[in-house]
Amino acid sequence: MADTSTSPLTASRRFGPGSFTPLQVFRSYAVAVMILLLMTALSLMSDSFLTTQNLINILNQNAPLAIMAAAMTLVIICGGFDLSVGAGFSVAAVSAAWIALHVSPTLGLALAPLVGLVLGVINGLIITKLRLHSFLATLATGLMFRGIAILISSGKLIAVRMPEFTWLGRDKIGPVYIAVLVMIAFAIVLMVLLNRTTLGRKILAVGGNEEAAILSGIRTSRIKILAFAITGLAAGLAAAISVSRVSMGQPTAGAGLELDAIAAVIIGGTSIYGGRGAIWRSLAGVFMLALINNGFNILNADPFFKDFTTGFIIVVAVAISAIGR
Amino acid sequence: MSRQLKVLLASAALAASTAISTGSSEAADLKVAFFASSAQNGFNQAVYKGIQTKAKELGVEVAIYDGQFDAAKQYSQIEDVLAGGKFDAFIVVPNDTVGIAGAVEQVGKAGKPLATALFPIGPDLTKLEPQVPGVTVTVASSPAAGAAVQAGTVVDYCKAIDPCNVVILIGQKIYPFDNLRYETYLKVLGGQKNIKVVATGEGNYDPDKSLTVMTDILQANKKINVVLSNADQHLVGAEIALTNAGYKVSDLFLSGGGAASIAIDAIREGRWKNTLAYYPVSMGSLALEAVVNKLKAKPGPTVIDMDKVGPLPAVIDKDVLDKHPEFKGEWAQ
Repeated sequence: MADTSTSPLTASRRFGPGSFTPLQVFRSYAVAVMILLLMTALSLMSDSFLTTQNLINILNQNAPLAIMAAAMTLVIICGGFDLSVGAGFSVAAVSAAWIALHVSPTLGLALAPLVGLVLGVINGLIITKLRLHSFLATLATGLMFRGIAILISSGKLIAVRMPEFTWLGRDKIGPVYIAVLVMIAFAIVLMVLLNRTTLGRKILAVGGNEEAAILSGIRTSRIKILAFAITGLAAGLAAAISVSRVSMGQPTAGAGLELDAIAAVIIGGTSIYGGRGAIWRSLAGVFMLALINNGFNILNADPFFKDFTTGFIIVVAVAISAIGR
Repeated sequence: MSRQLKVLLASAALAASTAISTGSSEAADLKVAFFASSAQNGFNQAVYKGIQTKAKELGVEVAIYDGQFDAAKQYSQIEDVLAGGKFDAFIVVPNDTVGIAGAVEQVGKAGKPLATALFPIGPDLTKLEPQVPGVTVTVASSPAAGAAVQAGTVVDYCKAIDPCNVVILIGQKIYPFDNLRYETYLKVLGGQKNIKVVATGEGNYDPDKSLTVMTDILQANKKINVVLSNADQHLVGAEIALTNAGYKVSDLFLSGGGAASIAIDAIREGRWKNTLAYYPVSMGSLALEAVVNKLKAKPGPTVIDMDKVGPLPAVIDKDVLDKHPEFKGEWAQ
């Protein structure tokens, strides 16, 4: 069975003598180290960085990606990939906007996660019933979903300028944006699911050794369908937040988000081979990517260097976690 | 599945796609192919709408090809369609204004007229006159000239403000046309001592990305007077960020580009100050008319400058809209 350390708490319990060397601890928390280094550097370079408002902004801006990355963790732990979440996001976004405009704004926001859920189930069924590799299957369904988004919107932007539609993306409870609270709640649910339930252990088992999982009586197909369904649901929820924030749905929305989500999961230290990982790690990965973007904007740095810097930091983070492996 | 059945299905699919892409009018004598930079883009769709409307009027058959914002794909499409020999003329919204020249030259050698819309084709983006063999007519406005006029409105606004803090939101600096616009902005604004460009962000033609970048910029810059952008999409996001930061946007100077309907509404409501006009429907209509005239050996210009022939002036502000209450913008965004 693969290493199933899934949270700082679980890992810290194992820090007994002889369990973990300092190098292993450093490797295990590479993403946290990188975040600390980045935050220190940005704090020294700009007075505007380490302010409550800026940190709240960072969380709010990246709540949709964090939700998607948290769910993507389950798929990757299961040994799969979901390259269709960006397209699923766009279907949910234009669906929400269309329903808001023609039926009800609240219904539009409420149905977006369900639209994502349906698309996720379709992915899961295609992968398990047709026995296709998730990489290929979701690459194909991603094209289909993007086509559906174009059909729903006729390829055009759907503007929804209604106050009842923008509360999810723009309103706050106290100093905190509702979107951030939704993200935290969603992440907690997934953490509990992965770390404290039988289902979570089955997800880890399927990704760790699928054959062994089958021999143990786990219905691996069901677990995979569920993982893809949750990822679809997350894409829909993220779309609802995003479309509410900008009060418009567009078929090009979400392009590239799948790669951002996968990058965040991998940067966090979840194994690309499945069987090992944690939700908090993916959230940390999102935060690290967010810090780079925020830093460039706040420092008014030339965007020509942003891609290079992002890539470089990803390489460093992944290299640290690979040291001694 | 048997081989015959596969062949039958493939033939049916090809026949269906041909019928969809070329339309069903067998009566039309002339056929014009439109190479959109992306068929799922609102601007390109509006150009195609103009092409379709004029084509119907002239009895011409048209088809659209989706370049998917991919320069290599668009190059291949032009070559393939030219080799197919079914079309008499071509209209292109180029993804790559320089690299596409090779395909355009092949069209010219085949003796078929070609109109480029939105941007000139060739190494010099400021020059609307055809620069490479094969371009019959350029239906566009100069990105630099438009940006200079737009930046000039900022200079006028800032005259009584010192310092006048300006944020520039540009599409992407890797695009030559965006870089040209950006450099033009800096050149015009740089000549004014009271104007300070405090930050530049890339909006990538996406309201959500623009919201993020503007929110971050506002963290580092507490006093903003102007947001200058080449795209209305950027201002949609910037407006939300400014409102969240406590600004009353109508007290600021927000200048966008595109004359999208959402910008026209914002200017009428006093939230934005102006937008650099683009008329994609008119552009498509004029491009089609130009290539059809060429096919019919009628005389025509080699340049149609949209800043001069558009229904409204190059920069649309509230005064202009008050004089043209019927104007709604030629595209949604």
